[in-house]
Amino acid sequence: MAQGFLALILHAHLPYVRHPEHEYSLEEKWFFEALTECYIPLLMVMEGMRGDGVNFRLTFSLSPTLLAMMEDPVLRERYERYLQRLQNLARLEVERTKEDGAFAPLAAMYRDHFDAVAAYCRRYGGRMVGAFRKLAEENFLEMITCASTHAYLPLLGLQKEAVYAQAANAVHYHSALFGEPPRGIWLPECAYFQGLEHILGELGLQYFIMATHGVLYAAPRPKYGVYSPILTPGGVAAFGRDPETSKQVWSAQEGYPGDYDYREFYRDIAYDLPLNYVGPHLHPPGMRTDTGIKYYRITCEGLEYKEPYDPHRAREKAAVHAGNFMFNREQQVKYLAPIMGRPPVIVSPYDAELFGHWWFEGPQWLDFLCRKIAYDQQHVKLITPGEYLDLGFPLQLASPNPSSWGDKGHHEVWLNGTNDWIYRHLHRAAEEMTALATAYPDAQDLQKRALNQAARELMLAQSSDWPFIMNSGTMVEYARQRAVNHLVRFRSLLRQVRDGTIDAEWLDRLEEADNLFPHLDYCLFQSLETTVPREIAAVVS
Amino acid sequence: MINPLQDYLNRGEAIPAYYGEDRLVILPRDPYCLFAYWEVSLPTRERLRQEAGDARWENAAPMLRVYKHDWFREETVESFSDVALRSEADNWYLPVTESDRVYHAELGWRMPEGAFRPVLRSNAVRTPRDGLSDIIDEAWQLPDWKARKLYRRISLYHLSSPEMFRRRKQRV
Repeated sequence: MAQGFLALILHAHLPYVRHPEHEYSLEEKWFFEALTECYIPLLMVMEGMRGDGVNFRLTFSLSPTLLAMMEDPVLRERYERYLQRLQNLARLEVERTKEDGAFAPLAAMYRDHFDAVAAYCRRYGGRMVGAFRKLAEENFLEMITCASTHAYLPLLGLQKEAVYAQAANAVHYHSALFGEPPRGIWLPECAYFQGLEHILGELGLQYFIMATHGVLYAAPRPKYGVYSPILTPGGVAAFGRDPETSKQVWSAQEGYPGDYDYREFYRDIAYDLPLNYVGPHLHPPGMRTDTGIKYYRITCEGLEYKEPYDPHRAREKAAVHAGNFMFNREQQVKYLAPIMGRPPVIVSPYDAELFGHWWFEGPQWLDFLCRKIAYDQQHVKLITPGEYLDLGFPLQLASPNPSSWGDKGHHEVWLNGTNDWIYRHLHRAAEEMTALATAYPDAQDLQKRALNQAARELMLAQSSDWPFIMNSGTMVEYARQRAVNHLVRFRSLLRQVRDGTIDAEWLDRLEEADNLFPHLDYCLFQSLETTVPREIAAVVS
Repeated sequence: MINPLQDYLNRGEAIPAYYGEDRLVILPRDPYCLFAYWEVSLPTRERLRQEAGDARWENAAPMLRVYKHDWFREETVESFSDVALRSEADNWYLPVTESDRVYHAELGWRMPEGAFRPVLRSNAVRTPRDGLSDIIDEAWQLPDWKARKLYRRISLYHLSSPEMFRRRKQRV
């Protein structure tokens, strides 16, 4: 047996951004970019390894909102058109740069990449979920779920029903798409509150991932630190993030992605070339937003002086960094295994969108890393959290510590002066949803549709993305409006159900507009009786 | 951006500022800060005004009383502290002194003669721990020198080891 294990976990998520009412939408472009630059390149890397017979194991969480967008026919068709425009632009670039020794090969590289992505898409009929499912069925991937709309669970935790519905619908949706229930769940932002494990356990989930101090500060003190999962009182295992591997990849100063040989993210031809040339191919036309065609390497600090990107040099650097990462893991397990007397598991979760989008060479790095681990050493083995549990090591019973992987390790990013106004409304809405779902357990036809749609609107309002964006300071109005839209629609639906005045034509349009989770069942919000905190709002007499 | 579909689907409505209810909710933001939001309905305010009399009510000041519970007997209050509020405030960030401790709050008014008139009581919450737990399960314990080696590896990249232990000592 290997001396230790490495569990690489990629978490992929985007909020539900689908706007057929606009010809172009900047928010839909987030999704298209992530497909072109991250998800499909990562799939191609994994399929490449499979084709070469490389024995690798990765864990992937695809949030239910992301899955819903991948499945949506409107977005699939729009993505095809988006990609065609990029392919056309790349061809123009090949023509424009043909005399230029430095840029011509780069233009060709992008043309070939977009062509390959388009071909890959066609192979799966545009349905990327199928590609993930295939890799999961072949045991290369462990697919895990996430809260339905990536809700920040600790700040909804006053209403256990809201948390239950977020998790339960995610499990159902995941099971429907992947043919089996998920063994684990990625808690949005790794955010945990005490008691959450009982809800997850009830849903048959076997593990979740936490920030380092979620496990490290558990009580009783965990014997093995973050190098073994703990068993929570809900019977669900909690894995803690390894701080060493997160720093090596994430750190702004020392992290790999900042290497000067890697591609510069902030120099895109959308900003460098005349608008009359590049404009018609932008998204939306004429508006300078990233094309993804970027010709420079990071070169040095600052944004002024940049040298042309050299893909061969960058590729070599990705290989060096993969070797360095692997070497450090070998040292880490050699250090830890004798202390522990059992094989440590190093849990390394990353945002999937880092790979390929921000860190262009990220997918290559992952490719090199998995291959090197398979062939160049014997100390470390790739594993999924589920497989680690299957090894059957006894787990220490401990209560995790409330935490998140956000800035400062707790809830401040999602709870501060820029976004705290939202919780008053989210709590009230969840309470009303539960009251109504409990009062109408057997709704039929129109009433049932209205209640299901109310559940959709509530879940959309609960996305952690809205408070996150409000805090980030860009696109704030979009986030605020989205939260308001879903809350307003939710309230209208509830009033119509209560008053028996459901507007069927309006409901049709609403189902069409906010159309995710076609099988969502409002009954998931029914009262869990014992867990509702009764003391709230008790007026002291 | 003009968006007729959005307007149609929203039926020209907005979310209400308040819901006409009496409610005080607290959420733990981090080991040393709670967030509180509240609403005191108009009928309740009217009842309080009548109870106090116009003149006294004019000079009453809203405040939050934050109760720290006992470490061992969590249902018992150990101490409390008061936070004066701006009269128009409907939320507040409350600094607290103890991580891993149960708190609850009451919203009320300080009357002109100094007495506190509680009106709303919040839910109880526990602040997160801010260091290693002092609780050791003897069946799950490494020898000291091994534990130090293990935690050193984590603290190299996470918190400094002294910091991890210092935070723990604050409470002991």
